Amino acid sequence: MSDEYIVLKEISKRFAGGVVALDKVTIDIRMGEVLALLGENGAGKSTLIKILYGVYSADEGSIYINGRRVDVHSPTEAIKYGIVMVSQHPQLIDTLSVVENLALGLRNFNAFTSIRKISSFILEKSREFGVKVDPWEKVWRLTYTQKQLVEILRAMLLKARVILLDEALTYLPLEEKKKFYKFIKEFTAKGGSTVVITHKIPEALDVADRIAVLRRGRLVGIVEGTSARIEDVRRMMFGESAAEITYEKLPASQPGGRVVIETQDLWVTGDFGEDAVRGVDLRVREGEVVGIAGIVGNGQRELTQALMGLRKASRGRILIDGRNVTNRGIHEVREVGVGYIPDSPLALGISIDNSMAENIAALYQRKSALINWSEVYKVASSLIETYRIVIPGADSLIKVLSGGNIMKAVVSKEINYCKKALIAHNPTRALDEVSAAMVRRSIKEKAINNGVAVLLVSEDLDEIYQVSDSIHVMNSGKLYGPFPPDEAERSKVEHLMVI
Amino acid sequence: MSLEQYVANSIIELAPVFATFYLVALGHSLFEKAGLLDLAIDGVFFMGSSIAVRAAVASGSPIVGTVVAAIVTMLLGVALAFLMTYLPISHGAIGLSMMFLGYGIGIIVGYPARLEVGSIAMYAYSEGWAIAIMAISIAIGATVHIILKYTKLGAAIRACGENPHAASSLGVNVLLTRLIAGAVGFAIMGAGSSFFTLAWQKFWDPKSYTLGYGWLAFTVALTSGRHPIVLMPISLVFGGLIFYRVRIGVMYGVEKDVANLVPFIAALAAMLICYATKLKKVLAPPASLGKVYYKEERTV
Repeated sequence: MSDEYIVLKEISKRFAGGVVALDKVTIDIRMGEVLALLGENGAGKSTLIKILYGVYSADEGSIYINGRRVDVHSPTEAIKYGIVMVSQHPQLIDTLSVVENLALGLRNFNAFTSIRKISSFILEKSREFGVKVDPWEKVWRLTYTQKQLVEILRAMLLKARVILLDEALTYLPLEEKKKFYKFIKEFTAKGGSTVVITHKIPEALDVADRIAVLRRGRLVGIVEGTSARIEDVRRMMFGESAAEITYEKLPASQPGGRVVIETQDLWVTGDFGEDAVRGVDLRVREGEVVGIAGIVGNGQRELTQALMGLRKASRGRILIDGRNVTNRGIHEVREVGVGYIPDSPLALGISIDNSMAENIAALYQRKSALINWSEVYKVASSLIETYRIVIPGADSLIKVLSGGNIMKAVVSKEINYCKKALIAHNPTRALDEVSAAMVRRSIKEKAINNGVAVLLVSEDLDEIYQVSDSIHVMNSGKLYGPFPPDEAERSKVEHLMVI
Repeated sequence: MSLEQYVANSIIELAPVFATFYLVALGHSLFEKAGLLDLAIDGVFFMGSSIAVRAAVASGSPIVGTVVAAIVTMLLGVALAFLMTYLPISHGAIGLSMMFLGYGIGIIVGYPARLEVGSIAMYAYSEGWAIAIMAISIAIGATVHIILKYTKLGAAIRACGENPHAASSLGVNVLLTRLIAGAVGFAIMGAGSSFFTLAWQKFWDPKSYTLGYGWLAFTVALTSGRHPIVLMPISLVFGGLIFYRVRIGVMYGVEKDVANLVPFIAALAAMLICYATKLKKVLAPPASLGKVYYKEERTV
């Protein structure tokens, strides 16, 4: 027997509505390795490891651990086998404290053990693993990075031998991501295994010992991380569509004279009462794409939310298409014809308990007393087709979609909706390379062809350079720039991001 | 009558009223803390109070009445928790169906007892029990509070109410946890409802199901944010309003039928205050209350 630890054999899974997620996929996970699972949005990556974690059950196929066939019906059972999953959206209970969350999975304490007693055990362990988080803090007060840290700590507490990272690092700032990868390397060096799901091929090449590629529910192949080339992996992931991937600078637009998005000395308060946005003066003209680069947590979220009327400005003015919309609420902003791709699409971008059509109706037909459904369905099917959203139909609930396809649903309806302006915050973060390239192209086309003023806020510097006509940097709530992209040296911009 | 005597009498008078509202609201709160919407409350309340009468009459002991009521409602709670967690069906629909089932069972079980003995006063708790009943209720409440707030089981119950999918992913057995919350919650409700007939009214009549007191307990739970300790003063206030409504009516020269409305008007006012003000955030219901939890659903 080789060092195979887990074997997933001929796994098939079909979802309600007939979406085939997996078709006879066989894959093994070895001791002490980092296995990267790559594939385009909706390829079945998440589904596969959710089956291993007992979140879903496979329609066909079997799971072997150490050569023994096992049934994994629930995460509780998976945890018993030493398998722990960390997902893109932290699976923590916001209203509970860190210790309470961590205590829930611990088998070595019975139901009536006091949380205080468990907390001392957790504290001791977290010191051992070098994780610093206040155990009594309520989870909703933690930053995203801290939440993911808690998830990793949880895996350690549960004595994980296999950690499944379902896009768990996708939303992390670059610096933090590096720390996590270092941690994973140490974990595998001690004999643990890690499965990493990601869209980013360079990242996979960097950390993975082996790379498995899924496409439309089938395993395309497995390659060695050290010998694989980026182009080959791309071709495995996307087939012929790989040619659509480009990071070339898109054609510049010809901005008109009219200023569409304008802020004057804008100050916005953050969640904890701090000044998150400090005196921002910003102007975006019609047909122009203005990019704001910056590391997460420097006031970008508060700025875009204030622009949309979702957060109060404590000082200053916001003008959209010449109208003063300061603190008037989102209704007025939407009225002007502003599209909004939020940083947290699930919270602010779409209602996952409703269908694609209903989500479109809520936005597009908000003023009419009666909904023109035939119009709505027309829009829905055109978006589904144009953006290649993998969805059984316009009637399907958003929550049945894969993470990337939900993002596509958000992005497509907003790009299509905007008439005057588009405020896009990390519009391509959960998307695969082909979809991301398409979205960036659509945004640019909207600016060039329809004269829409676009504010693009992104952590992805390549994206900023590819799409923007002028670049700002946001740091500690202040805005630097604008810089023309041809002249703005990357090193200078990167420096402004971290000073 | 001296002031001390007056206060002592009032406490003895109010104790069973308090115990009824408090325990029914407490059990209901525990059930809902786990994310299970309880619209069956009024039917369960009536059913429990009737079963208690039948069992007390049959055995001659009110304690047996309370215990049997608790056991039967517990079984119903387990069944509800199971159906609501295991199947993708609406909590609202099944809760309301159970409510009417509760009314029906209550009449079928209670009526023969009434026909048999007429007055149930001799099978009810004596006045000497009043303080003990109140003390036991408070002790149960304190225990529930400690379990909910300070133990792993309590964290699991709250986790199931906030986000059962995440709870499951964290290693909670959602079904088992909800079965426990359902069993204990409904058993407490059953015990509370037995005090309605056996300690407070000392009387049973099929017409009593029109009282809607179960819904008042629902309001008590809502306005207390389902918090076992906050429930205590609120139950006392509502119990007092119900108990003294006629006296209050006489005091202010209000007609009896209008006076009967006072508790319900107070309930409306309390809900308005809770949900139109900032209290809304403090008293927020569990985020997944009443949401269908179905494991095979594809989630992100």
